[in-house]
Amino acid sequence: MLPKFDYFAPESLQETLSLLDKCGKDAKPLAGGTDLLVSLRGGQERAKHLIDLKRVKELQNLSFNEKAGLTVGACVTLNRLIHHDAVSKNYPILKEAANTIGDFQIRNRATLVGNICNASPAADTAPALLVLNATVNISTQDNTKKVPIHQFFTGVKKNILASNALTTSIDLPIPPQKSTSAYMKARRTMGEDLAVVGVGGLAAPNGDVGKEIRLAYASVAPTPVRVFEAEKVFTKDRPVDELVDEAIPIIMKTVSPITDVRAGKEYRANLVKVLTRRLVKQLWEAS
Amino acid sequence: MNGKRHAIETDANKTLLWILRHKLGLTGAKPACERGDCGLCTILLDDEPVKSCLVLAVEANAHKITTIEGITKEGALSTIQTKFIEHGALQCGFCTPAAILVATALLKRSPSPTREQVVESVEGILCRCTGYRQIIDAILDASKINPH
Repeated sequence: MLPKFDYFAPESLQETLSLLDKCGKDAKPLAGGTDLLVSLRGGQERAKHLIDLKRVKELQNLSFNEKAGLTVGACVTLNRLIHHDAVSKNYPILKEAANTIGDFQIRNRATLVGNICNASPAADTAPALLVLNATVNISTQDNTKKVPIHQFFTGVKKNILASNALTTSIDLPIPPQKSTSAYMKARRTMGEDLAVVGVGGLAAPNGDVGKEIRLAYASVAPTPVRVFEAEKVFTKDRPVDELVDEAIPIIMKTVSPITDVRAGKEYRANLVKVLTRRLVKQLWEAS
Repeated sequence: MNGKRHAIETDANKTLLWILRHKLGLTGAKPACERGDCGLCTILLDDEPVKSCLVLAVEANAHKITTIEGITKEGALSTIQTKFIEHGALQCGFCTPAAILVATALLKRSPSPTREQVVESVEGILCRCTGYRQIIDAILDASKINPH
C-alpha cells in the first residue's frame, strides 16, 4: 500500500515552483511515477505531498532545431522521445538507450528527466546524455541555472537538486559532424532488466589523426560516469586495438564495479573491458 | 472507462489498479508484483498500455481507460481474443487480460506488425505458462485479419 499523501496538480510552472518552495523537503514531483511509486510503496522514499507535473504545458515540450539542438521537457515520456524523428536521426544513442529501459508500458509513462533525477547508477539514459554533453535546466522559484550532466549525479540515487528545485528540461547540443553513437547494455534477459553493465559511446572524425571518442558507463560506479581521461588516448595515431589496450587500464581506475544480485564484480569488470573494445571498434569503423 | 463516464471519490494514495478492482468491480487487471515488473495490471490509458499499479487513480482523472472488460462488445469476442483461444495462448489465464490489451493496442498502432514488434509489445507481460510462442503466434495471426 502507498503511504498517505496530498496530491497537487498545478497548471503552471510558477505554481509548481511555489508549491515546491513551500513544501520542499516533504514533497516529491511526480511525472511518470514508475520509480517514485515503487519507492514510496517500498519505504525507500517518503513524501507528504506529491506534485503532479503533467498539467504544466511547458514541461511537455519536446523540440529540435538545427542550431540549438534538442530540448526535452520534464514530462516527455521515453516512448515520445524514442518515436521522435529528430531523435532517431541526430541522437541514435539516446534512442537506443531509452529503448532498453523497462518495457513498452513503462516507457509510456517513464520520463527522460525522471530517469536522471532518480539518479540510479544504472540509469540507461545517463551514458547517452554524458557522451552527448547534455545540460540540465534547473529552476527554483527565484532562479534558474544550467548544470552540465556530468556534474548532476552526486552519489547512489543522489543528485545536486535542492529540495525546492525542479529539473524542467534537458538540452542536448547538436553532435559533431559525421559522428556516430551507440549504447550497449549487458543484461540477464532481453525483457525488462537493469543494466549489468551499460556502455555509451560516440565517435567523431578528428582531422587525420585518430578519432574523437567519448565513453560513459552505467552500473559500474556509484554514479553513471564519463571517462574523460581515457578518451584522450584515442586521438593518437595508432591502430584502434592498441589504443583500446592503452585506454582500458585508465578506465578501470575510474570505475568501481560491485557485486550485487545481478552480477559479480569480476564479471562486471570483464564486461567493461569487452564491451569497451567492442563498442569503440564498432564506432571507429562507422565514423 | 470502457465508454462510460464514472464519478468516484478516492484517496490520493489509491492506485488506478485498486479503484478498478475495488470501486468498479473490474477484476480483469491483476495485482501481482505491484511494483511495475510483471505487467499483469496493464490497462489502456488513452489507448496506450500502462501498468495500473504505477498510476494513481487521480492521475487517470479525465482520461480514457480501457480494461479487458471493455474489449468484448455485447458478448462477442474480439478477433484477438478468438485467436488466443485458437492458438492455445492461455493456460491459467492470469496474464491474459494484460496480453489481450497490449495486443489490441499494438494492432491499432501497427496493423501489420513484424514478429519483433509483437515480441516487444509483450516483453512487459510475465507469462509463466505458455512460453510466449502461442501468444505471439495468436497476435500475428490476428493481424492478418482486417479489421481486428
